[in-house]
Amino acid sequence: MAVSHDLRTFKNAAWLGWQMEANWTDPFVFATYSIVKPLAGSLILVFMYIVITGGETQTPFFSYMFIGNAFYMFVAEVLFGVTWVIHDDREHYMTLKQVYIAPIKFYTYVFGRAAIKIAITTVGVLITLAFGVIWLGVEIDLGAVDWLVFIPALLIGLLTILIMGLALGGVTFLTAKHGMGINEGIAGVFYVLSGVIFPITVLPGWAQTISHLLPVTYWMEALRRGLSPDLMASLPGSTGLSDFSNLEILLTLALSTVAFLFISTAIFRYADRTARRKGKIDWTTSY
Amino acid sequence: MTDTWLVTNLRAIRGRAYPRVIGSKRELSWLFFDITLPLLTVSAYAYIYKYIQAPDEFVGFVILGGAMTAFWLNILWMMASQLYWEKEIGNLQLYLIAPISRMSILAGMAVGGLFMTAIRASATMVIGVLLFGIVLSFAQPVMLILIFVVTMISLYGMGMMFASLYLLLGREAYHLSNLLTEPVYLASGLYFPVKALGFWAAAGASIIPITLGLDALRQLFYPGSGAEYGFLSVNTELAILAVLCVAFLWLSKYSLDYMEKLGKTTGRLTLRWQ
Amino acid sequence: MQSAVEVKGLTRVFEPKKKKEGKSVTALNKVDLRIARGELFGLLGPNGAGKTTLLKILSTLLLPTAGKAFVAGFDVEKDFTEVRKRINMVSGGEISGYGLLTVKENLWMFTQFYGMKSSVAKQRIDEMLAQFGLADKKDEKVRTLSTGQRQKMNVIRGFVTDPEIIFLDEPTLGLDVNASRVIREFIVDWVQAKDNRTVLLTTHYMMEADQLCDRIAIIDDGRILACDTPENLKKLVKMNRTLKLDVTSLKDTSKFGSLTGVEQFTFQDDAEKDQTHLKFILTDDSAVTEIISEVQSKGARILSLQKTEPTLEDVFIKMVGKGFE
Ligand SMILES: Nc1ncnc2c1ncn2[C@@H]1O[C@H](COP(=O)(O)OP(=O)(O)OP(=O)(O)O)[C@@H](O)[C@H]1O
Ligand SMILES: [Mg+2]
Repeated sequence: MAVSHDLRTFKNAAWLGWQMEANWTDPFVFATYSIVKPLAGSLILVFMYIVITGGETQTPFFSYMFIGNAFYMFVAEVLFGVTWVIHDDREHYMTLKQVYIAPIKFYTYVFGRAAIKIAITTVGVLITLAFGVIWLGVEIDLGAVDWLVFIPALLIGLLTILIMGLALGGVTFLTAKHGMGINEGIAGVFYVLSGVIFPITVLPGWAQTISHLLPVTYWMEALRRGLSPDLMASLPGSTGLSDFSNLEILLTLALSTVAFLFISTAIFRYADRTARRKGKIDWTTSY
Repeated sequence: MTDTWLVTNLRAIRGRAYPRVIGSKRELSWLFFDITLPLLTVSAYAYIYKYIQAPDEFVGFVILGGAMTAFWLNILWMMASQLYWEKEIGNLQLYLIAPISRMSILAGMAVGGLFMTAIRASATMVIGVLLFGIVLSFAQPVMLILIFVVTMISLYGMGMMFASLYLLLGREAYHLSNLLTEPVYLASGLYFPVKALGFWAAAGASIIPITLGLDALRQLFYPGSGAEYGFLSVNTELAILAVLCVAFLWLSKYSLDYMEKLGKTTGRLTLRWQ
Repeated sequence: MQSAVEVKGLTRVFEPKKKKEGKSVTALNKVDLRIARGELFGLLGPNGAGKTTLLKILSTLLLPTAGKAFVAGFDVEKDFTEVRKRINMVSGGEISGYGLLTVKENLWMFTQFYGMKSSVAKQRIDEMLAQFGLADKKDEKVRTLSTGQRQKMNVIRGFVTDPEIIFLDEPTLGLDVNASRVIREFIVDWVQAKDNRTVLLTTHYMMEADQLCDRIAIIDDGRILACDTPENLKKLVKMNRTLKLDVTSLKDTSKFGSLTGVEQFTFQDDAEKDQTHLKFILTDDSAVTEIISEVQSKGARILSLQKTEPTLEDVFIKMVGKGFE
């Protein structure tokens, strides 16, 4: 009974999410839109790289960077998506309070909206990777992919960022319009510290310590090991996680996900309570 | 009301700028989110350049670019989409019945937004410079200021133009703003010298004022790098920016008048939930 | 002195967004209207009648499809700048301004769009806040105000710029008795304070229209059905005005039926209570005095008196053919 209720909420939220994400235009414009944005993001890195190397992209590090950046889209989009749901509902539609007081689990609602975001982002990630492999010589050989590492890593990782998205959503309750910087920002933390586009070994020592606490660090490592095992073997220098076996990486990822589940729930609860105590659910802060 | 038209409109500009300025003072959460956090993206790119052993000025290039993103985001999220939200809130019709130039409302928003963003951008700059031990040259202060001012006027002129056009888009405005983020970072060379895109692509991207503005600032902050990484000469860039300045201000006035006329004819200008 | 508002053959048609879908709506259909300076004029009409549309055209927010509209003698279509200098507008339920400003700052901001000098504006805002009993809220953030407080602030916003003509679209929407009374009294005082001030208001509250307005136009389906003083409008309904009297036992009732203004007379003796019940149907209110003096001349005392007469609501229902939702 309760489960089927949640399921319905989830489905409705996903449907609503789809309406908002995709149904604003015809499929062609939507497709272009979904492709242009991620590709542009990757091309920034490509140009940064070729400005310095003079056009050479067939190096292990380029592939390392390109693959990391492609999967990082999930982090950015989901975190952005979840906070935007709350921000948008509150500031612009003033519907947050309706959703909030409706007899549904707010979690489920947010998850539903986020699920659609993930589905759409997946397309962007695939296209970006294909672009990299075909035009830039990014090293991914479908025959060589270690699926037993890649698939579990992908699923656990997605769950992790969903959970983190929820905590951020909670914080959005409390922050003003400026809070949109959260998306940019928290995502930025992972971008710098999680070995997304460069090995964490280049960071100062204290920063590397933090890196080791972030699930995304393990996620990125596991995804690359699964997707392109040869590349990881030929990358010069250490990625900072060379001591971990594949299984250890996956286990650590799973463990840190569980830890984040507790932290996120606590943050969300706290934010939710505080927001209600301070009467911020239906505040708008535009100026 | 014996005050001149000019005084009235200056007061209107001040009036509309006020909430923006006071707003950033009142909601201090932005200090944390909007200054500290964007530095992270900037740092990420700076570390890549370090990792691939790029020349030192590249870290400086990235920090300057990061500071510029603040202005671009301000244009997208708080200028372009603003009239649309003002309409949704119900303020737009009150602005429209007031006996002032509509440009004053937009100018007020721009001035307020610019002020706020300038603080954020300078903070990003200062912290970035300290963090990565960057040395910038201030050999041509007048030119620096001139480039910055002209860039900002044309950039916010563009934002004012967007504000009117976004009224047409309504709900879809969000998607456009979202779309104009990474592709613009790419096209304007926010994180690498725009010259790398090749002449024609860089020339095309120059329609966005930050492209040339940033390129000129980089050349001024790193004298000597211009020959290798600069797109056009600083003087040429200044001249083009000046043209953009006039063009965008004129276009924004034109599109605002057009929108108002269209709105008055169709009756949609003052309707919410469209 | 020219009229405050003059409207000739005003028509407004809304076309559907996409030509194929939906029909066009004629919100105003050849409306003629003249409002003199100094008038407090009311527009009454059911939902969708075209009231807001008329106000939008007059406040330069919307163009007419056909016909002409002049405000303070200026064409709203061509001389909109001149019109704007002389008007302001307040709508019920509006949430104008920015939640994060204080009440005073918000009001100040809007005065700046009228080029008011800051010091003058601030002083006037303080006075008006005190007048509306909002003085203690002036430094509170707008987003913390209740609906009624917020609406008072909106009303101040409209009046603080000292317009010649103000348009009020359901200014007391959703307010409690007290708050609406404060606003109503303010409006009346305001019009009377100077003789070139004009108010055009719409409302769904019959009592409000009856009490406030010098003249009322009843509008339905984009047409003005009637336009007159509340008293004259009420005369339009041929609804019986009745007068019921309970008096101490009265023997001689012969004269009542023939008094001028009395259309019908019936009576009934209540021997048990030693009373007589009289019932009149009147064609003219002046008959009431004569009836009372007749009762007294026969040496009876009046115990109770009940008079019913048509209300604006009766007029409205008769004209529009339906009550309010
Ligand atoms: N911008 C618009 N586009 C299309 N139709 C409109 C528009 N504005 C108003 N209408 C239509 O015009 C008619 C008159 O609307 P208007 O808002 O003037 O009514 P009103 O008398 O103010 O009603 P209410 O008492 O409900 O406020 C309605 O049928 C409405 O649907
Ligand atoms: Mg209305």
